[in-house]
Amino acid sequence: MSSELTRRGFLVGVGAAGAAAALGGCATSTSSKTAKQTGGKVTLQSDLSSPQAKAAMEKLIAAFNKRGGAQASLNTVAAETFRTQLPSYLTSGNAPDVYTEGAGSVARAYADKGLLLDVTDVWKSMGNYSAALKNLSTDSKGRQIFVPTAYYWWGMFYRKSNFAKWGVQPARTWDEFVTLCKTLKSKGAVPIGIGAGGTPGTPWVASSWFDYLDIRINGAAFHRDVLAGKHSFADPKVKKVFSQWQTVLPYFDPKGTARSFQDATTALVQGETAMMLIGTFFADAAPKEVLADIDFFQFPIIDPSVPVAEEAPTDGFFASSRSSHVSGAKDLLTYLATAPAQELYTSQSSGISLPANPTAKDSGTALVVKGKAMLANAADLTQFFNRDSSDALQPTADNALVKFLQKPDQIGSILTDWQTAATQVRSH
Amino acid sequence: MSVADAEVLAPTRARKRDTGAQLRRRPNRARQGRAVAYHLVVGTICALWLLPIALVIITSFRSFNDIAAHGLGSAPHSFTAGGYSQAWSAGGEKHAMINSFLVTIPAVTITLGLSAMAAFALSRYRIPLRRTILLVMLAGNLLPPQILLVPVAKLSEVLGIFDTLNSVIAVHVGFGLGFYTFVLQGFMRTIPTEIQDAAIIDGAGSIQVFWRIILPLSRPALAALGALSFTWIFNDLLWAITVLRSDYRMPITPALLALQGQYVSRWNMIAAGSVIAAVPTVAVFLRFQRHFVAGLTLGSVK
Amino acid sequence: MVTLTASPPPKARQAASRRVSPLLLAFVLVPLAVEAFWVFWPAIQGVYLSFTRWDGISPPHNVGLANYRAMASDPIFRSALWHTVIWLVLFGGLSVVGGLGMALLLQRERRGIGIYRAALFTPVVFSLVATSLIWQAMYQPDGLINKLLGAVGLTSWQHYWLADSHTALYALIVPALWRQIGYVMVLFLAGLKGIDPVLYEAARVDGANRWQQFTQITLPQLRSVNSVVLSVIVIDSLRSFDVVWSLTKGGPYHSSELLSTYMFSEAFQSLRLGYGSAVAVVIFLLALSVIITYLVRAFRESES
Repeated sequence: MSSELTRRGFLVGVGAAGAAAALGGCATSTSSKTAKQTGGKVTLQSDLSSPQAKAAMEKLIAAFNKRGGAQASLNTVAAETFRTQLPSYLTSGNAPDVYTEGAGSVARAYADKGLLLDVTDVWKSMGNYSAALKNLSTDSKGRQIFVPTAYYWWGMFYRKSNFAKWGVQPARTWDEFVTLCKTLKSKGAVPIGIGAGGTPGTPWVASSWFDYLDIRINGAAFHRDVLAGKHSFADPKVKKVFSQWQTVLPYFDPKGTARSFQDATTALVQGETAMMLIGTFFADAAPKEVLADIDFFQFPIIDPSVPVAEEAPTDGFFASSRSSHVSGAKDLLTYLATAPAQELYTSQSSGISLPANPTAKDSGTALVVKGKAMLANAADLTQFFNRDSSDALQPTADNALVKFLQKPDQIGSILTDWQTAATQVRSH
Repeated sequence: MSVADAEVLAPTRARKRDTGAQLRRRPNRARQGRAVAYHLVVGTICALWLLPIALVIITSFRSFNDIAAHGLGSAPHSFTAGGYSQAWSAGGEKHAMINSFLVTIPAVTITLGLSAMAAFALSRYRIPLRRTILLVMLAGNLLPPQILLVPVAKLSEVLGIFDTLNSVIAVHVGFGLGFYTFVLQGFMRTIPTEIQDAAIIDGAGSIQVFWRIILPLSRPALAALGALSFTWIFNDLLWAITVLRSDYRMPITPALLALQGQYVSRWNMIAAGSVIAAVPTVAVFLRFQRHFVAGLTLGSVK
Repeated sequence: MVTLTASPPPKARQAASRRVSPLLLAFVLVPLAVEAFWVFWPAIQGVYLSFTRWDGISPPHNVGLANYRAMASDPIFRSALWHTVIWLVLFGGLSVVGGLGMALLLQRERRGIGIYRAALFTPVVFSLVATSLIWQAMYQPDGLINKLLGAVGLTSWQHYWLADSHTALYALIVPALWRQIGYVMVLFLAGLKGIDPVLYEAARVDGANRWQQFTQITLPQLRSVNSVVLSVIVIDSLRSFDVVWSLTKGGPYHSSELLSTYMFSEAFQSLRLGYGSAVAVVIFLLALSVIITYLVRAFRESES
């Protein structure tokens, strides 16, 4: 059957060859086909591919469809495929309608190119959201283009039973942290786990160390300026970040650049490593039964005079400006912003994230209460390296930071190379 | 070999005959010894060759906790087929396998059909510019595929077949034609002309000649190419992810990659998924082993 | 040395009675048009893109030769080119040596030979994704290779093979060879089968030893296969993208970057599609310089 269709496709194709040639440069044209079909389902393109998150999304869409009215269908692709294909999704003629995405400058960059749907009227139903979240969802023209649904935090995670066994306490300051590492090493544990390698590689987790050291030493404002290209990566202030990092480098897992963060999670759970700076999403890779034994502490304070900022990446959704189901897409976004929808998602997924809607109840575990309090007390919040800069800049950080982890003595040339690569990426 | 060479080599010949005589005295032992040594050496190489495959099969039957506790390289402490059922249903490989067959079978059939047509005309008739046509068609087959990704995706969109299995089939047909046409015309040239001439005298048109005579006589070449192209298309990753977007339309190779992205450190499941994905091509290989080897050499050894 | 031919061989060329009808022209033109549509037309667009600056979203800017000039002063491009040369030499050389060696070992029909040949050939039918998953498991920090080295007391040889910038490139060649040697072996087996046994008989009568037989008969007789094997290997190594991309993505920090992976990451990760296309054009020109000799040769033989 499909072969018949294709044969017809071919005959069309043969005829179209001439026509396409006449169009000229059609590889670069963004198809001008716009909304025609009004029926059909709203498609939600999702990169939440870990088993628990995917199942939770399926439940969420099923609940949306049960309400009657607009119907939606979920399409989950691997996170990496999603990232490389997102520009082509957004520019294609029959683009998916709604997408999972992180808040921040990535979304704003797409909005500036006119690819995102203006969802200002969805925000009318979101009056109770914080001004900070609204600000984060607003593009340069003052329109809302993003709907946040959840946020999470990064911290130094460890197993309570292991810390008890080794007789150690969480650290609050940098000096305490260095002492903690020393003690852990003397007990035969690898003090600091990291998963900045492996296949498929997760080198980007190394950026959390750069982000945190920079916001602890130079402050969040300087950090954002560096990412925006206002300061060079070879700046002496950036160099200070690395000399600080170097003091604890001997306590890092030597396998750290050969492991993915998922494998590093397994090592943490097994007690091979003692603690790990990671976002709460790592819980998806840990067996459910050990979650009760997991705790975290805040990234240690280095300079008390610098206002305390934390990494708090915000997740949510945006819609394509080429959507052929504009009202359906807005219905879906409005639903996703409600408290019941976010509570449903939280209860079905691993549950260690915080709903963006202030009236939605979080999972209420001790871990979540502690994480929420840490973010509430922070003077400033950052998103993450790529979300505060761009996806294209992330590989330049990966190369520089993995090289630093392996060859810290070459830091001078690493930073100048990083700056060169960043300039190249920004110039396109 | 020249006469001079033979003279130079003469002493060697004499010595060689001596050793031959010595060997003849205890022929069985020596031959046996050599056979044992041979099988030892070659057997070891082949065992090393199969070692990675054995590792994957063993890993696929272990439990996740066993792998997490003892590492990938250790001897198994558990036995379960759970990885297979997970990869097959939760990992979505069942659906992907169906997609793979829906793509591979039509793509192989259409490519072979079209290239047989072209090969028939090019090999049996005086088509103007046939040299150039053949060269150009084959050259297209040797382009680096990465340069074509973006334009191909946009083309299938212009045709309105983006994100359908038809677009994958179409791309595979387009990219297979050059090589298959080149190989098939080489084969068809060797079919004697007398058979065709006799048919023409009996009043057969070119379609009848093609359908009744040339195609049946080309069966060995078609079988060889069919077996080869089955594995090539079945194993494809790049084109599928270029022209497809929906997870439920992905064939098995991208699905395996997605499975790995989804269950990163669940090595038992990833290994089971790899085994499942390899079963059809290994089955085709074992069933058509003879054709396979013929197909590989067909294109190149002439 | 034709392995698969319908017998008996052709006597006359084409009969005068066979005219070229429009139908026959369609037999050629339809497949040609299909290929032109899906291959040549996209290729032309790729070349066009290499003269532009394009992020995949906004309209492309024409920049002339700027991408090619940037390449000349790009240290990563230069090291990718160098790695590609290393890859070509090592991957190519070892698959010829390994393939020919195994073909010589397995050429005589004897008991069990079918199993040996099948064992060496099996990896050829695996997808590159499956191949790289298999080798990921081998190369894990606690994987089989390190365990085996530890078991025989070579703990100092244990490495994080794919994560170490000194070993990554070479660690990638192994799985590529694992798939290629079986293929090359089959090509050589077919070539060896085509050598007339009388030649060896004569040499033995003349007292030539094994080595002399190899250098004076086998190698010269294999010459036609050799050039085919070389072309196949050069094409395959210039395009060996999948193994490298799925195992290291060219890392750590570009130490296993090949031209093909650099092209892909520039185009699709950094969204510099114009520059990526320019790198692809360079790959194409390199491949073409090899392919031309292959085509000319293949064509001459198809004519003779």
